[in-house]
Amino acid sequence: MAVARRARREAAGARFDRHAYYERAVQDPENDAAVLAKMFRRYRTRHPLKLREDFCGTATLSAHWVRGGAGRTAQGVDLDGATLEWGRKHHLGGIESRVSLVQGDVLTEGGPKVDVCCAMNFSYSVFKTRELLRRYFEAARSTLVKDGVFVLDAWGGWGSMRPELERKRVGNFFYEWEQARFDPLTNEILCHIHFELPGGIRMDRAFSYDWRLWSVQELRELLIEAGFSKVHALWEKIDDDGDETGVFYEPRRCETMEKWWTFVVAER
Amino acid sequence: MARSKSPKSPGKSPAKSKASSKPAKPTLAERADRHALYQGSVQVPEADIAIFEDIFMKLRGRRPLTMREDFCGTAYLSCTWVASHPKRHAIGIDLDQPTLDWGETHNASTLRPAARQRLQLLCGDVLDGVGDRAELTCALNFSYSVFKTRDLLRRYFESVRERLVDDGVFITELYGGTEAIVALEEERKCDGFVYVWEQASYNPVTHDTSCHIHYRFKDGSRIDRAFTYDWRLWTIPELRELLLEAGFSSADVWWEGVDDDGDGTGDYRPTESEENQESWLVYIVAQR
Repeated sequence: MAVARRARREAAGARFDRHAYYERAVQDPENDAAVLAKMFRRYRTRHPLKLREDFCGTATLSAHWVRGGAGRTAQGVDLDGATLEWGRKHHLGGIESRVSLVQGDVLTEGGPKVDVCCAMNFSYSVFKTRELLRRYFEAARSTLVKDGVFVLDAWGGWGSMRPELERKRVGNFFYEWEQARFDPLTNEILCHIHFELPGGIRMDRAFSYDWRLWSVQELRELLIEAGFSKVHALWEKIDDDGDETGVFYEPRRCETMEKWWTFVVAER
Repeated sequence: MARSKSPKSPGKSPAKSKASSKPAKPTLAERADRHALYQGSVQVPEADIAIFEDIFMKLRGRRPLTMREDFCGTAYLSCTWVASHPKRHAIGIDLDQPTLDWGETHNASTLRPAARQRLQLLCGDVLDGVGDRAELTCALNFSYSVFKTRDLLRRYFESVRERLVDDGVFITELYGGTEAIVALEEERKCDGFVYVWEQASYNPVTHDTSCHIHYRFKDGSRIDRAFTYDWRLWTIPELRELLLEAGFSSADVWWEGVDDDGDGTGDYRPTESEENQESWLVYIVAQR
């Protein structure tokens, strides 16, 4: 009986759509699109129209970008054809002409020059050496128009440097973020995302990440080496209750926290 | 020791004047000497030398005889080095002449004349590469963390490499772990006083950290901020990358073994992979 139940659960798990759960649990593309535009206007006097989304996955951010303003276009680049196909099917209805999705390597994939290039959800962390990450930053810079900006996110804090499992309810399912291993000799970190659906159906390791946890200072140094003229490490304001406000500023000094994530913006 | 910068003077509380004309008895803090306190609370040069010998012997198959101590402060380690073997020479380098003078009076002058002759104390900048080449160069107590940019730290490592003999070895230390980036105060009882290590602040955007050493005494007196450090907290991969960029042929991490209770054994081994801990201290060993 137990075996049969497990088999049924596993079969259901295999059927469920990990991309849909990822988008619901991790992404906030409408907000991210607004933030990208805001980051651009922070340093430029015009409105950005063209976006390049590196490591775009299902390209939901690209889709929200173009839906967020007339005249906006986006190019998404990702290595994984199946994920891009999923994104095409689910997100690009009616905007196919304004979003181009390219299966390719962000290190080498060219394309039209854009106002904003972004690498979100720490995907650049797959580049574990300074040399590779510098090469990626050079490639990102080369996609930008003269006054273009490159936006990436970063995370850290002492809570990021140890094994940890965070479990969070999202609607009718659970999202789990596991930091399986952090090695202080290399700053390599191995993380997994697991989902648990109603009825206890689990999808373990729906996504796995084998990264180097780069520090903001390291990112800044590499961005400058890659030719960016200015790098802004932003920090989110918190209110009196310690809650995030969505307002970012460039701090002269800031207090460390158990876990934080933030934006780094580089001007071409 | 904040050897590239003059540490702040110890804060002395003025002696309280009482109604009687009898002069107030000086407090223990007022009678204490911060360099002596530092040596008594932070440094164990015999242990450092044992580890250096062990590492050097494993890499080179011989006992090292010549050592450069960068950021030497009071040169306690260099003095212990020359006293440890009749053929050992040491060069201690520090920016701060008064600290070197203190070391001359309190450490070097206690050496036998023959040992004293094998010790050279130089007031200078470790970036300038003054003095003879050595088999072993060390930079202990994280003093190189005053170099906050990759360019400066690489320049320092280049200068270290330049002053090593052809098969010379550079040994330095690094601390880290999840507690290294947390504001905290740690107390440790020493002989006649309490040593306090304070991590006052850490900036996650720049990795700047500000730390202090305080001393507290039985009579309630204290020396706050006897030493203050304004550092960049470097990470292991960053140091390894810079050492290789500076021309060293290898940069390895020696990690302390632990016993069944999880306590450090004092025995260090090279390693390529470890679990993170709340707090760790490693030796980074670079071969020219």
